Amino acid sequence: MTPLKIALTKGRTEEQVIPLLEASGIDVSGLKNKQRRLIFNEDPRYQIILVKGPDVLTYLNNGTVQIGIVGSDILDEQNNSQYPMLDLSVGKCRFVLASTEDFNPRNPRRKIIATKYPNITKRYFQSIGEDVEIIKIEGSVELAPLTGLADAIVDIVETGRTLRENNLKVYAKLQPVNTKLVVNRLGLRQYRQQIKELVASLRKADLASVKE
Amino acid sequence: MKNTMLPNGTRDEFGRTAEIKENIQNRLVDQFKNRGFSKLITPVLEYADVFAPLNSTDYRPYQLLDEKGETMVLRPDLTLPVARVLSTTGVSLPVKWYYSGDVFRLKKQLSGSYNQLTQAGIEIIGYQDLKADFECIATALDGCSSLGINEAYVQLSHAKFIDDVLNILPLPDPAKESLKAALFEKDLSKFDKLIAPLEKTDFAPFIKEWPWLFGDFDEVMTILKKLPKNSILNEITKELQNTKDFIAKEYPQYQVTMDLSIQAPQSYYTGIVFQGFTEESPDYLFSGGRYNNLLQSFQNQNVPAVGVAFDIDALVSRFIGNNSSQQTLVYFDDSQWAKANQFVKETKNATLCLANTLEQAKTIAEQTNSKLIDLSKEEANQ
Repeated sequence: MTPLKIALTKGRTEEQVIPLLEASGIDVSGLKNKQRRLIFNEDPRYQIILVKGPDVLTYLNNGTVQIGIVGSDILDEQNNSQYPMLDLSVGKCRFVLASTEDFNPRNPRRKIIATKYPNITKRYFQSIGEDVEIIKIEGSVELAPLTGLADAIVDIVETGRTLRENNLKVYAKLQPVNTKLVVNRLGLRQYRQQIKELVASLRKADLASVKE
Repeated sequence: MKNTMLPNGTRDEFGRTAEIKENIQNRLVDQFKNRGFSKLITPVLEYADVFAPLNSTDYRPYQLLDEKGETMVLRPDLTLPVARVLSTTGVSLPVKWYYSGDVFRLKKQLSGSYNQLTQAGIEIIGYQDLKADFECIATALDGCSSLGINEAYVQLSHAKFIDDVLNILPLPDPAKESLKAALFEKDLSKFDKLIAPLEKTDFAPFIKEWPWLFGDFDEVMTILKKLPKNSILNEITKELQNTKDFIAKEYPQYQVTMDLSIQAPQSYYTGIVFQGFTEESPDYLFSGGRYNNLLQSFQNQNVPAVGVAFDIDALVSRFIGNNSSQQTLVYFDDSQWAKANQFVKETKNATLCLANTLEQAKTIAEQTNSKLIDLSKEEANQ
């Protein structure tokens, strides 16, 4: 049997998903003690590779892997066209519009918004009928309103601690974010049984982890 | 600075790849001709409106303006130009056409996908009967076997199935729309929440399995029987069963699967949809179906139409890597033209080496990793 190929987002998603994979009966001994490796074949049924979030979709779209595990923030930002089959209960957070205390969302002038997610930001402001200028930055988004680069930011928050520590306030809650299992369209047809089993056991493990 | 690089998403093809591509195209075209189809060539440039019926996410076209400021595109598809030809000329039906050429679609930058794709296919217009669908499937499968692809899956589906089932579900319309979206995206988490109100109805046993309603033909049929009886669905089921029986009888080497959870490729599809793939291919090898609404955006009157297209690039990638053989270079003396020509004709994958000295020929053979045959030596020995 050809192993099912899975691209897993490295970093926080990887840490949160490994217990779920383990609870679904997958041998993750390699992933737990990975050193500098990026490909894991410990479980003969799967080949797991570790890649950055946006690259998960590149691998999926090329049919190089059949399955991707990645945050919905990246799927939404990149206009995913593969199957987002399963919501996992890990990696839950939310997009928010945040800024300094003196920010006035009702101020009619064209605002400048800094974000790592220009597409999501654009869609949000379109949905409320407001035209804004978007500046894309790569990290430490909180700095933008503090330094005067932008009027406000659109970013992901989990607990809100980073915002509070930087004296930023949430002005609007946008869509929620969570980790998803995404499946390549043709791959699902080629590996129907294997994927069905993986989805069922992951779902069970995920439900059990929520109940705990 | 001069920009002499290739634009993103394009490529040059040469050597073996180009040759394989040409061979595949020729073989398929020969097949189309032998079945009595006639050639249709349409321009690469068309007005954007011709392609309005395409879903825009997968078919983003390259656009440019003509001298009056109207938007033109490099064709992203080869079927809609056929509809344009039909509606703007007085061709009398039925017709059987074949085409082969490139389509252009803008994909995500730097993602490793190509924006220029080669297709070859057929269109049968003016025949309503399932026989026309069968001829398309037969052409596709004969094409596969002429290329030596003897193990493949034919996936059948039906453009009307999903809407017809949704129609009889006891749900409000907005809920039906969300259910359809969740089904197409295979978003199981969302789907399960949406079907909760159907838990206690006759539909429950079927609906729970719906997102997984693909795979072996007979297994899918068994699940289908869990649906409450309905005359419209009976008709669809009959068409699918007849198509499956046709393939099983005429092309027993190919396996038939069915997918009743998939979205039709375009909104103008109206009947059987079929796609071919193999276990290792990253893309469908061929794709086709019945689209009696093809002419909807061109004229008031619809005509029955069915067609199939091969993805030539997917076929090429199948053959690359297989049996890659070394080329043989034939070095010869000026006096040996006839003999060398004969030798090249008789030897597989050989070509004349046009170097002036044996020394040069050896260097070329080394650089191109080819085998060198030295005919001049034989002459000297005689």
